[in-house]
Amino acid sequence: MTVTDSSLAVSTRDLTKRYSGLFGKRSVLALDNLSLDVHRGEIFGLLGPNGAGKTTLLKILLAVVKLTSGSATLLGKPVQDWNSRRNIGFLPENHRFPPFLTAMGALETYGQLSCLQTAYVQSRANLLLERVGLAQWKNDRIKEFSKGMMQRLGIAQALINDPEVLFLDEPTDGVDPIGRREIRDLLTTLQKEGKTIFLNSHLLSEVEMICDRVAILHQGKIVRIGKVSELTRRGTGFRIELEKAFDSNVESLAHTLKQILISHPESDLFSSVTVDSSRPESPTVELATDSVQDLNQLLDCLRSAGLLIRSVQPKYTSLEARFIQTISDLDEDAGKIIGRAEAETRSSANDEAEKPT
Amino acid sequence: MKITLGLFVVTTIAWLMLSFALSLDVVEGSIAAVRIFGLVDEPTQFVRDPETGEVIRDVETGNLQRQALSLDSFVIGINRFVFSLAYIFGILIGLFATMPLVTGFLEQGRIDLLLSKPISRTKLLAGHIAGVLLVVFLLTVYLIGGVWFVIAFKTGIWQFEFLLAIPTITIMFAVIFSVVLTTSVASRSTGLALVLAYGTIFVSAILAIRDQIVPQLSEFWGSLFVGMYHVLPNYFEVMQIMTQLASKETVTSFYPFVSSVLFGITLYVFGFIIFSRRDF
Repeated sequence: MTVTDSSLAVSTRDLTKRYSGLFGKRSVLALDNLSLDVHRGEIFGLLGPNGAGKTTLLKILLAVVKLTSGSATLLGKPVQDWNSRRNIGFLPENHRFPPFLTAMGALETYGQLSCLQTAYVQSRANLLLERVGLAQWKNDRIKEFSKGMMQRLGIAQALINDPEVLFLDEPTDGVDPIGRREIRDLLTTLQKEGKTIFLNSHLLSEVEMICDRVAILHQGKIVRIGKVSELTRRGTGFRIELEKAFDSNVESLAHTLKQILISHPESDLFSSVTVDSSRPESPTVELATDSVQDLNQLLDCLRSAGLLIRSVQPKYTSLEARFIQTISDLDEDAGKIIGRAEAETRSSANDEAEKPT
Repeated sequence: MKITLGLFVVTTIAWLMLSFALSLDVVEGSIAAVRIFGLVDEPTQFVRDPETGEVIRDVETGNLQRQALSLDSFVIGINRFVFSLAYIFGILIGLFATMPLVTGFLEQGRIDLLLSKPISRTKLLAGHIAGVLLVVFLLTVYLIGGVWFVIAFKTGIWQFEFLLAIPTITIMFAVIFSVVLTTSVASRSTGLALVLAYGTIFVSAILAIRDQIVPQLSEFWGSLFVGMYHVLPNYFEVMQIMTQLASKETVTSFYPFVSSVLFGITLYVFGFIIFSRRDF
């Protein structure tokens, strides 16, 4: 696959950005040989802890920040070429419009900056204000807008040129739950219209709901990338929630269950079942295999012992859990490496000290 | 925006007051008196013998015979006064008034949105500068043009040279604004930019009296002082040139104006280079 593949909306190859340190400031490697492809028509989510390089990547793609080395293209054109930005829309985080403008005025201004005809901008602005629910405030000054209204206006602004690729940095920031739902629906509709959406958000539950693929960025590198369904795929096994019997406590429940499982020596159930009694009001039994036969056998056992089953769910890892786990693992590894390096340094220092003079 | 509107209101008040003042009976009377008799109140102009060039003295008192002030001189005097005020305070206040435009332009959340549009950085910055200068130009036209029209309409003397103040103020504002813009783009500190701009005007005032200062300095410091004079804008000398033009006097040298414009152009070039290369 080449960098200028026409099926790609965004492509980077060995993209590196180093912020040089002036006046004694430490230089920072924000992006480290990052290669990434975003296909046309997909909703792509970029995740990462603070300082991972998400905003830098977004800004390089939009030519707000200059790349140090490597290459980046938008719809097949190098990002350094301002023509590459003709078919893109952008909603920056904490965007600011001139406060003296009205909502309509702001859309007209930014539409004209996108090299569009005035008549087209006006009709499109009316349509978009209707679409984001700001039609009745179109002649109100922006300075009177709430955070949520600003965000809606920002999205309308990003769509003013009917872009092929939409870059959204925290699009639901400050928006109420109903508004968030509306924005999610809007993004899904836009995807159906064939638009590519590049989403940068801290709300992982939202990313999980609407993104096709996500990448997790850590210290300027992509540490995990894939379809949301792959990253959040079921864990191995099932989780069975029991109704606590009125005349039994959790310990006796666990004991009963143990006895039942031991009484079935023909199956491997005993070794793959654990009882979680951390929530006494709803004890759970976890089965560590994906075997449906094992599941049904276990359910039969539980029922035969007179236990009531409240729910059965396949084990599942949310995107948030996957994200936290990935970052924690990396930080732990980094901690170990640093610890090892420090130990080696101490050891060599001791060796130096013990050398006979 | 508010400050610009404020300036617009102040300008309106200024020339409305002038209009009312010129309508007062006492002023009407004074103008009529000047028109008929002339005013013997101009200390710098004395009546000289056309043949010998010597100043003529009053036969009875022995005092120097002063030139009667013509209505032309009266109008020139008012215009010079208005121009000097507009030049010094207009540019100083104009810099302060346009500061929010620069701050807003470079603000995070706005500059990145602007840069993401399909426009080259050069065009974007040029458009911004053009916008600021247009605001200043319109305010200057409103103030100077208004004052000129009121005085000319009242006195019947249409002194068009005074209108040269409009481009002069706008160009010199652009020169000083180059300091603000380039510093802001480089440092993103509008406070520092304003300090440097006002500092440039202050230094320019000192450089304007170089003839008195340079002889007091050593050769090295003297050369440095003269060098600074040639490099930095000559803010106050340009004002003198303009008042000479308005007074229909001969201007001996336009060098201060040319060197100031060159300073502005150089700084804008630096500003554009920094703006096109830096990260936001």
